[in-house]
Parts: sequence; structure tokens; C-alpha cells
Amino acid sequence: MEQKIKKIISRLNTPDIQFADVRATITDSESIGFNNEHLRNYSSSNGSPALGVRVLINGCWGFAGSKDLSDASIDRMIKLAKSNAVQGSNFLKEKVAFPSLPATIAEYHHQPKINPFTMPREEKMDYLGKLATAIAPIGKIVHSYVAAEFVRQEKFYANSEGSYSHTSYYNTLPIMMVVAADSGQVQSRTWPGHMSAGRAGFELFYEQQFAENTDRIIKEAMDLLTAPTITEEKADIIIGNGHLALQLHESVGHATEADRIFGMEISYAGKTFVKPEMLGNYQYGSPIVNIYSDSTDPKGLGYHPMDDEGVPGRKMDIIRNGVLVDQQTSRHIAHMLGLQPSSNMKGSYADDFPLVRMTNLCIAPGKGSLEDLIKSTENGYYLDFTKTWSIDDNRNNFQFTTEIGYKIKDGSIVGIVKEPTYFGITKDFWNACDAICGEEEWGYYSTFHCGKGEPGQVMQLSHGVAPARFKNINVSVKM
Amino acid sequence: MHEQLLYLKAALDKHPELKFSIDQSSWQTDFLRFYHSQTNYNISKNNVNLSAGLYKDKKSFSFSIDDPTNEKIDAAMLNALSIIDSLPEDPDFVDVEDDLTLAESRPTTNNILAIPLQKKTDILASLAASAAKHDFELYGTFICNYSSGRMMNSNKLDKSSSGSPIYLEIKAVHNKSQLTVMETFGGDDFAYLDLEDFRSRLMKKIEFCTNEVTDVEAGTYDVVLAPRCVAEFVQYLGYGMSARALDQHSSYFEGKIDQQVFPEMINIVDDPGDPEMIRMDYGSGGHIYKPLELISKGYFRNFTCNQYYHHKTGLPKNGNTASCLKIAPGQNSVEELIGKVKKGLYISSLHYMNFINPKETSLTGLTRDGTFLIEDGKITKVVMNLRFTERIERILKNVVALENRAYTIPFSENYESFDIETVKAPHALVTGFNITSSTNTI
Repeated sequence: MEQKIKKIISRLNTPDIQFADVRATITDSESIGFNNEHLRNYSSSNGSPALGVRVLINGCWGFAGSKDLSDASIDRMIKLAKSNAVQGSNFLKEKVAFPSLPATIAEYHHQPKINPFTMPREEKMDYLGKLATAIAPIGKIVHSYVAAEFVRQEKFYANSEGSYSHTSYYNTLPIMMVVAADSGQVQSRTWPGHMSAGRAGFELFYEQQFAENTDRIIKEAMDLLTAPTITEEKADIIIGNGHLALQLHESVGHATEADRIFGMEISYAGKTFVKPEMLGNYQYGSPIVNIYSDSTDPKGLGYHPMDDEGVPGRKMDIIRNGVLVDQQTSRHIAHMLGLQPSSNMKGSYADDFPLVRMTNLCIAPGKGSLEDLIKSTENGYYLDFTKTWSIDDNRNNFQFTTEIGYKIKDGSIVGIVKEPTYFGITKDFWNACDAICGEEEWGYYSTFHCGKGEPGQVMQLSHGVAPARFKNINVSVKM
Repeated sequence: MHEQLLYLKAALDKHPELKFSIDQSSWQTDFLRFYHSQTNYNISKNNVNLSAGLYKDKKSFSFSIDDPTNEKIDAAMLNALSIIDSLPEDPDFVDVEDDLTLAESRPTTNNILAIPLQKKTDILASLAASAAKHDFELYGTFICNYSSGRMMNSNKLDKSSSGSPIYLEIKAVHNKSQLTVMETFGGDDFAYLDLEDFRSRLMKKIEFCTNEVTDVEAGTYDVVLAPRCVAEFVQYLGYGMSARALDQHSSYFEGKIDQQVFPEMINIVDDPGDPEMIRMDYGSGGHIYKPLELISKGYFRNFTCNQYYHHKTGLPKNGNTASCLKIAPGQNSVEELIGKVKKGLYISSLHYMNFINPKETSLTGLTRDGTFLIEDGKITKVVMNLRFTERIERILKNVVALENRAYTIPFSENYESFDIETVKAPHALVTGFNITSSTNTI
């Protein structure tokens, strides 16, 4: 494959092409799903190929991608990518341009502790089957599922500046859920929430203690059927890692993707309230809020030695002491903003056009344990495990509901509430953050399902988070 | 064509102990994305995929092969045969699809070829020139897909279909205020695009944006929902109309067949044959896709139901997937609907809705791409985007009038896969719509 893509790049080293890159990916995936203790889905796709050719001609991008890697298909892709750029440049006012980068060579290969593709199948099915049986419908539990997705992707990248990388990794997404119903009420609980993916193999099920939490989600789902809702107008809330990752994702991650500033995502994902002039002076959060993008940490799904346009991985502050200081960018956008490219350009597969994407977007840890934080909270709620979410197309006004809320009184948890819902404005919310737990509570929470772009792509990425407290938040939503 | 499908079929025919459902599809897209009234990027993509579901008694395993070859098929079959005996059973599986009805054949124009890039940019340049007069620029996508496929199964089902949907989404954004309005076209047949009507509707919305910008308080409002909003609410409601949702105890319609759930003026049908929409020949598993009444004169009539859930729930099988929804128009012009509102809102489009509780149809979302204040029966001001928390049940129960024209609204299903669907819907006047907060952004 290395020779194949280098050969393609050599064909694109012509004077009419300002920049070109070629990617190839080979992806294995496996999906297993138990519904109500019965195996409902077991599917696999092995060695799925993809190749993409991107060229910049007359200041216009042209791209062609295919899962057919034959010579004839490659010839066709080269021709299509070039004609797409040339014809597209007829409808162009401002040409794309950016400075060149030195050539970089990179190699990285991740190995999980338990390879989900080669481990004994009986062991895998036996474990998942036992989980499914443990949460099978009985009494008020009316539906349940256990699911696992395993992905292995090998990627080759080369560009016209001489950069080349070859990487491979394994990612796993495990989840289980129970649904309880009674007297017209329906409530659900998942474990370990919707940000459950990891750069790992089957060991993730053990690390996330699935077997140890089946009884807990069954009990909590049933208890939620008769639990009260929040009655206060405003409250102090502590957000657990299982949900804070999504709060960070939606209200900081997407908001600081700089392609949104220039309207490149208006037609689908939307805009952002962030403007270039805010850099260096906008008080995005309270002074204890430090948020960074780190594609250099191999523990997260967003790790890469080089992004999909040849920018070496970077760790960089986005929000420092509460102030917005940088953006997630492409080379083109970074040049327009006068910034260094942030190494955030990625495509899900090689036949996807690369977009500005979150990699490992993290909130820096503060101090203390979750237990200490709850103890120091007089009245409030500890919310965790995302149930539903919504945010406006400027990433400014959001509303989240978690699966469960734990009521805090005088520093102790005294009960639960159902469908705890809070809403707010991004800046006000992050400025209301008065405590972030320490490193002992910090960890990566990851997803396979960040949608962006057209044709749509779903990206696998991570958020490093520790539980945090937010003061005086709107928790009353009238229906 | 479909050599690999036939190769796989021949391999499966050697295993009479297996039931199977297989299909081969080829898919292409030409995708122009534009911003600031200029090209952002042009993408061409294609793929050929072969997928198979294998069943041995009540055990099943499926595989998918991109860019299939005989060697890949042999390897996948070998793997599947080595696995399937060791798997646990699904007691609810009975059989693969047994509906062998063929759809009437109809020609498919490959719109990738019929609408070349130059034609797309000519249309965009023309519309951009109109918008520029008000200092608006165009952002959006102009997409043509072409797909063809053939599916076969162990019940002798053998069906082919093709399609070439078009999706044009134009957002006009004011260069200074960032005020945004949207107009769309979608369907199989480009002849239905009346460019001057499209331009007229876009420009009318742009002209609304010349009004003062204001903010409104949280509370309940009478609203005129644009067809896109009506379409999207009904799409979300469609989830609860599935036998799957019923089986999972998350359907609002549980126990409501043949009960009146909405006002008499609400009629919803899943109709795959409307020439102004993206048509479908076959639904889930290859069952023929025929019109299905969902809501008739306010009464709930049918769940969409495939072979699997037919056996599991006992509901009648229809193969529908609520992918071609049509909401019947009413009696009033849109001007009359707006004219009935003393003080309220015109909502053009919705954003990022998610269910809080699907069984209750409660959800939260935001307005987008043009929200306007109505005072004394006229649109008077532009309103900041708003958050709402509502129940679709309540919205439809509160419909007091529908427009006498329905529009084809395209939606790009853009998350796990890239598909285009259309819904046909009129404007609707709804009372007591629950606005929960303002966004302070447009």
C-alpha cells in the first residue's frame, strides 16, 4: 500500500497542482448486539478498503474517493479529483492557500491487551451473553440490550510535500442498557453511558466493570419510575464524567472548530458564536477552566502522529485560565486566522474528505476527589449519564437531560431524581464552573458517533474529563 | 452487473440448511459544497457493497464486503460457516422476507450525468447574484446520488431497484448580521425544480430579514410552522409508529390503533409513489413498498412492520419504513394562517432535536434559519433563535389550520450513512407552542 499511494502522489507532483494528498485505509469491524438476552445481531466486515485523492488546483479543492483500489479506479479518481477542482474553481472568489510544511515521516501501531478479532469467540460470546442474561427483562424491566463494536483501522497517508505516515489502532465501543416501565412511565439506564468507547480491545469491558454494574442499572431504572423530578428553578450541579464529556464536546469542542467561523458547515452542522476577534480576550469560562486539544496522547482515540493533511500531532491550549486562546483548524483556516495549524484535520475513512475534527479535547484536572466535591456541596444535584441533548447551531444555547440525578443535601446524596434537565448559554455556563476534580478522577470518555460534514462522517474521538461543579444553573424546564 | 451477488448465491445454494438474504448495491455521489457564494469543495465518491445475512434455524450471522471479489466472498463464507453453529439463538427469528411482489418498473435518470458540475454552479451563480443585492451570500450543498441494487433471498426473492435523488440546500446568510434563511429542493426529477419559484421564495425570506431584530420571552406562542418543521416533527413521530418501537415499549401509539389521537384534519400517509418526492420500490427486507395510512382523519391506523416484528408482535406486515411521509394539506393559504395570528411566531426550520422521552413524544430542540415575529397578522420582525421543549403529541393536537399546499422537503440522513429522504408537508398554525429560552444568536 505504501508503494501504491506514493506512486499516486508522484503522479500528482505536477505544476498545476499546488498541493495533493492521498490516503488509504483498511478497516475491520465487528458488531455484536443482544436484545433481551438473545443474540439479535452479529455482523462483520473484514479488510474494507478505501482510498481518497485530494488536490488543490487554481486555489480550489477537488476530491475523489472510492472503495475500489484497482488501477483503473485510481486513474478515474485522479481524473475526477482534478476535474472537480478545475471546474469548481470557476465558482471561486478567494483561492485556498497556505504555507508549506517540512516533510514528516511517522509510524505508529497500537496493540490492545485483548484483541477482539482474534480472541476465542466462545469467550467473547460467553461474556456478552452472561451480561445480557443478567439484565434480561423481568418484572418492570421490559427491554434490555448489550452491544459491542470493535474496529481496527490501518491508515496510510502521503502528500506532495514528502510527508508519509503509516498507523494502525484498535477501538472498542461497549454499552448496555435496561428499560423499565410501569403505569405508563418509561425510564432507562445505561452503563457506562454514551461516551463509553476507548482505544482498547475487549479488555474495555473488564476495565469499565460491566459485570459489576448490572444490578445497579436495573435497580436505578426501576427506582426512577417513581422518583421525583427537580422542583427548583436553579441549582448547583455536579456533572459526572459520563455526561461532562458530552457537555464539553457540544459547547466547547464544536464551538471552537474554526471551519464553522467561515461558514463551511452552515448547511449541516451549523455555525459558531465564536469570532476570530475573541482570541486572547474572550472569557469563555471561569479562571479554573483550562481546555486543550491533544492529538499527542496515545491513550485517546484522537491520537495521531500526523493529521490527514500532514500536520504533526499537537497539544495546544484552546482555553487557558478561562480565556479563549486558540482554535481547532485546518492549514487553510489557520492561515486565514494567522494561527499555526492545530493538527485537527481528519476523515473517518480514506474516501472521506478531511474536515476540522476534535481529536482528544480535554479539560485539565483541578483538585480533589468526587467524594470531596459532593461533601463540599450544600445543596444540589450530581448528574450523570446522558439521556438527551440539544444545542443551537451557533453552539450557544443548550439543554441536556441525564438519565439520573442524585440529590445532594448538606454534602450527602439523599435520593434520586428522574430526567434531570438543565439549560444555559455556553459562556455563562462555563463561567459558573467553580470546581473541577483532580487527576484521580480524570479519564478519557470517548465516542464513535460524532457526526459532521456532507457526505456525512462519524468520527471516533475522546474527551479527557474530571467531574466538575457549576453554580446556580437553570434546572426548571416547564412542559 | 451483480456477478458477485450471483457468485455468493451459488455458494449459498450449496447449503440448503441455511436461509439467507443478500444484496449487492453500487452507489455514487457528486457533492458540491459551497460557502460565501463560492466553491468550498467538490467530492465524487463511489462504492460497491455486498451484504449477506445467513440464518441456520434460529442462529444468524451477517457480513458486509466492500469492493467484493470472489476471493473475499469465499473467505467471508468460510468464516460465517465456521461461526454460525456456535452462536446463541434468537427465538424470535422465523424466516426471511417472503413477499415476492415486484414493483412496476420505471426508468431512472442518472442525475450525476444529467446535472454536471457546470450546470450546478451556473444555477448557484444566478441565485447568488439575486441574494447579493441584499448583501446575502449563499452557503449549502448541491448533491446528486445514483444507486442501483439487487437483492435475493432463500425464499426466491429477486428484486432490483435504482434511484438518483437530488438534494439542493441553499442557505442565504447576511454578511454582517449573519441572519440566515433557507430554501431547498429535493426529489428524483430535476424537471420539478422551478428555478424562478425557488428564487422567489428565497428572496421573500431574505426580504423578511430586512426587518428589525428582536428577542422574545419564554412562554407559549401561537406559531406558524413552515413545512420543514411540520415534516420534521412528523418524521420524529414516525419512530413511534414502528413495530420495533412498540416491541421495545417506547411507542406513543401503544394501545392506540383505531383511536383518535389528533384532530380530524391530520392525515399522514407513507407514500412511496409520489413523483414529486424521492420514490422507493422496496422497503425493509425487500417487501414491496406501498402506500400505508398512518393517521387518517386523526385516527391512528397502522404500525410500520417488517417480517421480523410481524412474527414477534403479530402486527400485519407491510415493509414500510416511514421514509416517504406525506401530511395532507388543509384549506388556507399561508397568508391566511399568518393572518390569524395576533402575536406569535413564524418558525422556518428546526435544529438538533432529541427525544427526552420517546413514549411521551417529549423533546427539546431549537429554531434555525429564520424565526420571525408575527404581529396583527403580519411578519414584522426577525427573532433570535429560540429553544423549545414540547411534545409532538401536543403540537399536532394543537393544530388549528393547515395550508392548502404541500411542499416536498428533502432531508439528508447524514449520520451513519448518507441517504436522502423527502417528506411532503404544508404550513401549519399551532397554538400554545412552548418556547423555553432565547439563544441570543441568530
